Amino acid sequence: MDTLLAKLDDLFDSGANRFRDAPIAFFLLLPSLTILFMFAFLPMMYAFYMSLFGGKQGMGDFVGLGNYTDAFSSSAFWNSVLVTIYYVVGTVPITLLISFIVAYALYRIAFARGFFRTLYFLPYITSTVAAAMVWRVFYNTQTGYINAVLDKLGLPAQQWLLEPRGVLHLITAGWIPHDIGPSLALCCIMLFDIWQGSGFMIVIFLAGLSAIPRELEEVARIDGARSHQVLRHITLPLLSPTLFFLAIIGTIRAFQSFNSFYALTQGGGRTLGTTENLILHIYANFYEYGFWGYGTAVATLLSLAIMLLTLIQWRLIGRRVHYG
Amino acid sequence: MRKLLVYILLSFGAVITMWPFLWMLTTSFKTLPEATHGGLTLLPSEWQWSNIRNTFEAAPFGRYFFNSFLVAGSVTCAVIITSLMAGYAFARLYFRGREILFILVLTTMMVPFEVILIPNFVLIGKLGWYNTYAALIVPWCANAFSIFLMRQAFLNVPQDYYDAAKVDGCGHLRYLVKIGAPLVKPMVVTIGLFAFLGSYNALLWPLIVTTDEAMRVVQVGIMAFYGDAGTRVNLLMCASTVVILPTVIIYFLAQRYLVESPLGAGIKG
Amino acid sequence: METENFMQNFIPIKQFHSVHVLMSGLFMLICSAVTVGCGASDGFRPIDDSSAVFWDRQTVESANLLREISDEFNAIYTGLPIKVERSGNYTEIFRKVSASIRARSLPAMAVAYESMTSEYIPTGAVVPLDAFIYHPELGLSQDDLDDIFPAVLQTNRFDEFEGKMYSFPFAKSVLMLYFNRRVLDDADIVAPPKTWDEFLRQSRQIKQQTGKYALAMNVDCSTIDGLIFSMGGEVIAGRETLFDSPASIGVFELIETMVKEELVYQITPGTYDDEVALVNDQVAFTLRSSSGLSNVMLAMDNDKSRWGLAHIPQVNIDSPATVLYGPNVIIFNTTHEQQEAAWEFIKYFTDTDVGVRWALGTGYLPIRKSAISHPDLQAHWADWEYNRAAYDSLVFAKPEPNVAGWQQVRSLVENAQTEVLTGMKSGRQAAIDLKQSADRALAQHR
Repeated sequence: MDTLLAKLDDLFDSGANRFRDAPIAFFLLLPSLTILFMFAFLPMMYAFYMSLFGGKQGMGDFVGLGNYTDAFSSSAFWNSVLVTIYYVVGTVPITLLISFIVAYALYRIAFARGFFRTLYFLPYITSTVAAAMVWRVFYNTQTGYINAVLDKLGLPAQQWLLEPRGVLHLITAGWIPHDIGPSLALCCIMLFDIWQGSGFMIVIFLAGLSAIPRELEEVARIDGARSHQVLRHITLPLLSPTLFFLAIIGTIRAFQSFNSFYALTQGGGRTLGTTENLILHIYANFYEYGFWGYGTAVATLLSLAIMLLTLIQWRLIGRRVHYG
Repeated sequence: MRKLLVYILLSFGAVITMWPFLWMLTTSFKTLPEATHGGLTLLPSEWQWSNIRNTFEAAPFGRYFFNSFLVAGSVTCAVIITSLMAGYAFARLYFRGREILFILVLTTMMVPFEVILIPNFVLIGKLGWYNTYAALIVPWCANAFSIFLMRQAFLNVPQDYYDAAKVDGCGHLRYLVKIGAPLVKPMVVTIGLFAFLGSYNALLWPLIVTTDEAMRVVQVGIMAFYGDAGTRVNLLMCASTVVILPTVIIYFLAQRYLVESPLGAGIKG
Repeated sequence: METENFMQNFIPIKQFHSVHVLMSGLFMLICSAVTVGCGASDGFRPIDDSSAVFWDRQTVESANLLREISDEFNAIYTGLPIKVERSGNYTEIFRKVSASIRARSLPAMAVAYESMTSEYIPTGAVVPLDAFIYHPELGLSQDDLDDIFPAVLQTNRFDEFEGKMYSFPFAKSVLMLYFNRRVLDDADIVAPPKTWDEFLRQSRQIKQQTGKYALAMNVDCSTIDGLIFSMGGEVIAGRETLFDSPASIGVFELIETMVKEELVYQITPGTYDDEVALVNDQVAFTLRSSSGLSNVMLAMDNDKSRWGLAHIPQVNIDSPATVLYGPNVIIFNTTHEQQEAAWEFIKYFTDTDVGVRWALGTGYLPIRKSAISHPDLQAHWADWEYNRAAYDSLVFAKPEPNVAGWQQVRSLVENAQTEVLTGMKSGRQAAIDLKQSADRALAQHR
């Protein structure tokens, strides 16, 4: 085995210039790139190609950027943009915060570690469809737990997933108009996703935390630093690559969130569009109405937006990241 | 004292996190009217053990589990291998277009899956892979997320390791297999875990590329309980609970490896 | 540090990367062209050459019955055997068929709603059945055609596509009023309502005397269509919707009134919570398809005295109407063998004897008038007084529109229904706005 690898290495050795590793890089990258090219990149290109055509089921005429201008002048499109923004802003920071707190706690305890870690990861392990079914039962307006508990506490029952009015409107008893801010239904979906998504972030935070050499913390403590000082000056800075990574990945995923929305609401129509994010908008136009050109155009816009946002995040936050 | 507070809070959080699962588990043993009744009761009045038998007689779950494990297992192995190779290449090798290629790889993460579903389906048809394991496995054997993670992991391995190995006459491949891979074991386990989960829990793709009963995976199998005129909630929950079990066990066994830190030992040596 | 490395490497290789980009771009362009070009070939291949695959939605019991029937058929048919494959729910089947049309590889037959079929037809993937129906040897005789309920056949004729029959009835049902006897008894009501005025009166009585909701309502376009029919209206004329007609406004205003007086509540979409509520004696009425009969009977512990089925309330008892539910079956344009096998199976399946078996086993309705004299069906009706109600409704059931773009209108109707159920709009306003948006949507699909 050893000699085989050594022989292969000799084969790939091509001198000592700046780009000397090209042959071996090609070998190492070939499997991944082939698969990504065939099943991710090519479909992307094809989808973009489809977006230049009108009509239904991909049978229309060439319209160039016609679908894109249709999107920009469609109120349903802008509504879904707004819903997506509410959703991303509402879930990503909160999930990061909660996941960090829980991960830090799990990192510090010694007893029953495995047990607790498994428990907190359970929501992520479950398929979204099954978990959503359970939550829908909880949110049920007539027979669900949450309203039953509210009933016992003497508070009025809410419509939860069926409530298209804004949550701000409800909290301020009507002072804020009902179409400002996310609807209660959207907030219910956000809660579900925070519950489910935190498991993922907790695992990655734990991995990041454990990569911090313990000696650093111990030395700081010996020098007299208190826990929260250790946290601020040692742990958090060394954790920043992980945090940075999760912020980016979390945002990308939040923009693409589909399963939870669909499983909880069966599409956006029944909450008057207040839970129709960009993906649902694409889904409805693509799979239900058959406007393939329009659907892929909006999808392309979404992908571009994600890329742009990621780039901005990378530049803005990337500077503050410390690498060991 | 502080530790006790932490444990209490963790337990409280755990209960909130677990509550839906408790509901799933207990509903699995209720009768249908009881399961749909709602209200605050959690435990069934009478434990219907026969539900387990009814659930697994409704469809050939044995075959479904076999398919799911075969597919998820293959995908996991493939993803680990491809991401180790690609992650290392992006982290430590110098070649033309490295940055461009990496950015292109990342862009594949930013396109929603539902959109590339149909082009992929058409491609599968052209390759003649409809209703085969190839369709279920191959498209998932590499993904940008894992490559990104692995690259991060390799970047965190200090350059000294490689330089030391090179002095001993070790080339890239030998280094990767003998030293590099073991050093990033926690990341390998992490990536493997996510790859397994992603494949095991996938519903949309298997649903569209397979229709043969013999090729179904468990997630598609569970759909059997969504009847035309009503859902058999109790059996559905029973099936769902059993479907989650393997992943819980795998995670419980693997989570120890997620947080080991071999770097500490390496630096001193 | 990471970003600095990135920048450093970027600039020197600018000269090289343009070549890379150019080459990869060319490569991708060629691949895309090849893929697209390949798509323009003619004809559709069958996905399985050795059997006629049937993509269906049935689950558990009805799936077993369908398989039994297809096994019997395969035993006597000398052509390709029929292979039933459960392929998800109707939306998923729609998605799968759409993708398969694109991939030019299709099964022999599949279930489809009229709105879905109208999306498939322009692609050339669906075979018009007129040639089969009127074929001298393989077809149906005039007696056969007369024996089938006209509405059931009518719904499969697509006026927008030369009035041809592109699908055949498969699993038909009608909108019915389910009622809970206990709740009615508690409210001193003897029989379910026959007119909408009576319905409203009874609902108020139920609220007053028992404090319970009268109706648990599902947000569903077909239900609204059925209610409009029962109020004497139509839903569409050509390509213009009639949601601003008096009948339609009547429906939405009725819902508005019931919401205001807390007589109705909305159930979680995609669930059967209204049936659950009925079974748990929490509501008096639900409006659902007759296909739910066996499920509800099971949930009611087979207690026939607890509940029943009735025609939905009407405005004019002398000219009643309700809506026809249920999917049809379409045959795909693959090979002649596949099409013939599919057609023979359809004939076998919709024949009186098999049709009655299917109906008794699943709760769907037999589509032939001659089924009425079938002994098994007679016995079934004698078993419980309400078993007959759905069949009697079939005579005056009307089909929903099957024009292109109706899928989108369905979402808009559900939107309007939600607006009224949540109290966000008045019934009249919702109906008028619905007409505007529905017409606009249909215009886009022309």
